Amino acid sequence: MDFDLSADQQALVSGLQAVMRPYEDLTAAERKSFCCYRPALQRALRDAGFFDVASHGLGTLEAGLVAVTAANSPCAAEVATSALVWPAVLDGTPTGPVAYVSGDLNKAARFLHVAHHALIDTGEDLVLADVSAGDVQEVETILAYPYGRFVAKDVVRRGRSLGRAALALARRWARIALALEFAGAAERAVAFTVDYVKQRHAFGQPIGSFQAVQHRLAQCHQLTRGMRYTALYAAWKGSDMAANIAANTAQRHAGKLCFDLHQFNGGMGVTNEHSLHLWTHRLRALQGELGGAQGAALALADELWPAAGAQAARADFVAALAI
Amino acid sequence: MEFAWTPAQDAYRQQVRLALDELLPVDWAEISQDGMGSARQIDYSRVFARALADRGLLVPHWPAARGGRDASPWEQFILAEEMKSVGEPRGPQYMNVNWIGPTLMRYGSPQQQEEHLARIAAGSVVWCQCYSEPGAGTDLAALTTKAERRGDAYIVNGQKIWTSYAACADWCFLLVRTGSGRKDVSILLLPMSTPGIEVRPFPGLVEDGHLNEVFFTDVEVPATAMLGEESRAWEIVLYALSFERVGIPRYHIGREVLEWAVGQLRREGRFDDIARARAAGIVAGFETARLLTYLVVDQRAKDMPPTTDGNVARIAAAEACTELSDFLLTYTPDCLTGGDHVLNAFYRGNISATIAAGTYELQLNLIAQQGLGLRRAA
Repeated sequence: MDFDLSADQQALVSGLQAVMRPYEDLTAAERKSFCCYRPALQRALRDAGFFDVASHGLGTLEAGLVAVTAANSPCAAEVATSALVWPAVLDGTPTGPVAYVSGDLNKAARFLHVAHHALIDTGEDLVLADVSAGDVQEVETILAYPYGRFVAKDVVRRGRSLGRAALALARRWARIALALEFAGAAERAVAFTVDYVKQRHAFGQPIGSFQAVQHRLAQCHQLTRGMRYTALYAAWKGSDMAANIAANTAQRHAGKLCFDLHQFNGGMGVTNEHSLHLWTHRLRALQGELGGAQGAALALADELWPAAGAQAARADFVAALAI
Repeated sequence: MEFAWTPAQDAYRQQVRLALDELLPVDWAEISQDGMGSARQIDYSRVFARALADRGLLVPHWPAARGGRDASPWEQFILAEEMKSVGEPRGPQYMNVNWIGPTLMRYGSPQQQEEHLARIAAGSVVWCQCYSEPGAGTDLAALTTKAERRGDAYIVNGQKIWTSYAACADWCFLLVRTGSGRKDVSILLLPMSTPGIEVRPFPGLVEDGHLNEVFFTDVEVPATAMLGEESRAWEIVLYALSFERVGIPRYHIGREVLEWAVGQLRREGRFDDIARARAAGIVAGFETARLLTYLVVDQRAKDMPPTTDGNVARIAAAEACTELSDFLLTYTPDCLTGGDHVLNAFYRGNISATIAAGTYELQLNLIAQQGLGLRRAA
């Protein structure tokens, strides 16, 4: 077990950060918006091959590193689904953003407004649908992702069935992708807030010097460390159990993170120009997806404590490797 | 980054498990039912640790010249994990082998090393650490137990408290004040049979054996028993405490306790979705703590300078344990009324787990100030 990045992994992350760096500086309009999505960044990531990592020589852990690192950006790029869910069920590379859609197809879905493809969980099947402009409608939101909803009624019928086995795989990898995306956004939100409380003074000293602030920020940091490593572990392991643990670990702490981080950014944090929402409102968007923390926990419980007659899975998911 | 165990680590874990299967007596559950601090388990630890030493599994992480085989921190931790998973049959000797011995190797005189290390490596001695006092717990530098130099000896007067295993220990790692400055502290190594030492166990919420007062009345200790230089022990204390940065793996007993509660809920038909989700969340919390603990072991194995990830791992474990205590008392309120020793041990141990060896709040201070770079309030 080695928690340090290998030379290849470090090169991968550094390369990704280099591609993302020019997009750190937001335009005046972006700084006043609820969401920053740039097609140019999306194309740059695709052209540089970051969505092919899992299928080209490296592996799913490396794809996980791409997803968690990309989620640090103030710009919401569709990376996790393309880099992790797509390769689990399909060959090749998507031509553009992929929306993962589950549940009620009439409801808004992340990235659907900008998507080239949709992976649709119908409950019985996984369907791949190519998405064209007339199929979707943009949905206004304060959540920091581009959202859209289907207006075409025949999307599923026009799509390609990938089957139940693919559906099970997609559900697993969608939870892993979500956990990675959550971890990356949460890390940046905490780092952003730590910087802010060092600069912002109240009562003659930085607000970050007050123990009431320090303790809660330390807890937020602790949570993000757990999120990072459970998500990366899940990307490496690729099991349902690891996926459910990672998703639960991320989603159930969204409330604590968003509350504390907004508190410490105070009045500045409720202005769009301050940018905090570009990360916290991604956490809020992800908080309830795929059944939320409760859904992941119940899926985990089904594995750990199945109905009588079925065999329980081993819960110590790391040490289990030793036996 | 790579999460797989190496074949050598797998083999080592199997070796430890095999040793446990062969060494633990059939009545181990009964022996261990009163906890690590009980006289019965401490007595057994002397038998067990010797047998473990015979198999080269007591101090594998020590240098070969000291009876070990220079095993990595990973092996040290795998050993600890497996021991903890069966109730820690090494008893208090986990302290000897993990930090008292290594501290003596670094700071002890040749005579002290000669006197103590072989016995620790053989598993034939039990130590206690006399640090905390009624007025000096988290703020350890406030200690007042005094050692005054008289000729070739020190005369010690004062009181320690919360001294685990004191009633059964053979030797004492004693922190004393030797000067007026806040950090003018020294360490003395002395037998617990020294005249003038009185141990008074007292009842409390944590398990038996952990709550002892130790009184020192005109205790004469030879000057040669001082570890390091007089009034320069603060560095030694920090060094010794650094070994505790990899916390005790409590997730095994946590899982065992959770499975007990789940079993009861299932038998009674009360394991509904709310309880299932909450129980699974606790498992996720334990597994998160486990991964974070492995992160710290990895840093230690690479000889990296300490980071606050150790504090992070301890907080994660504390949160999971606290959540489990809440779960137990919410869903199985009779869990503490039936005399089940595993439940008692978990619940009672958890009360002090967020206080001993650096409180939960101290861990948060360290994360905030040393990890996040936030400065202390003026």
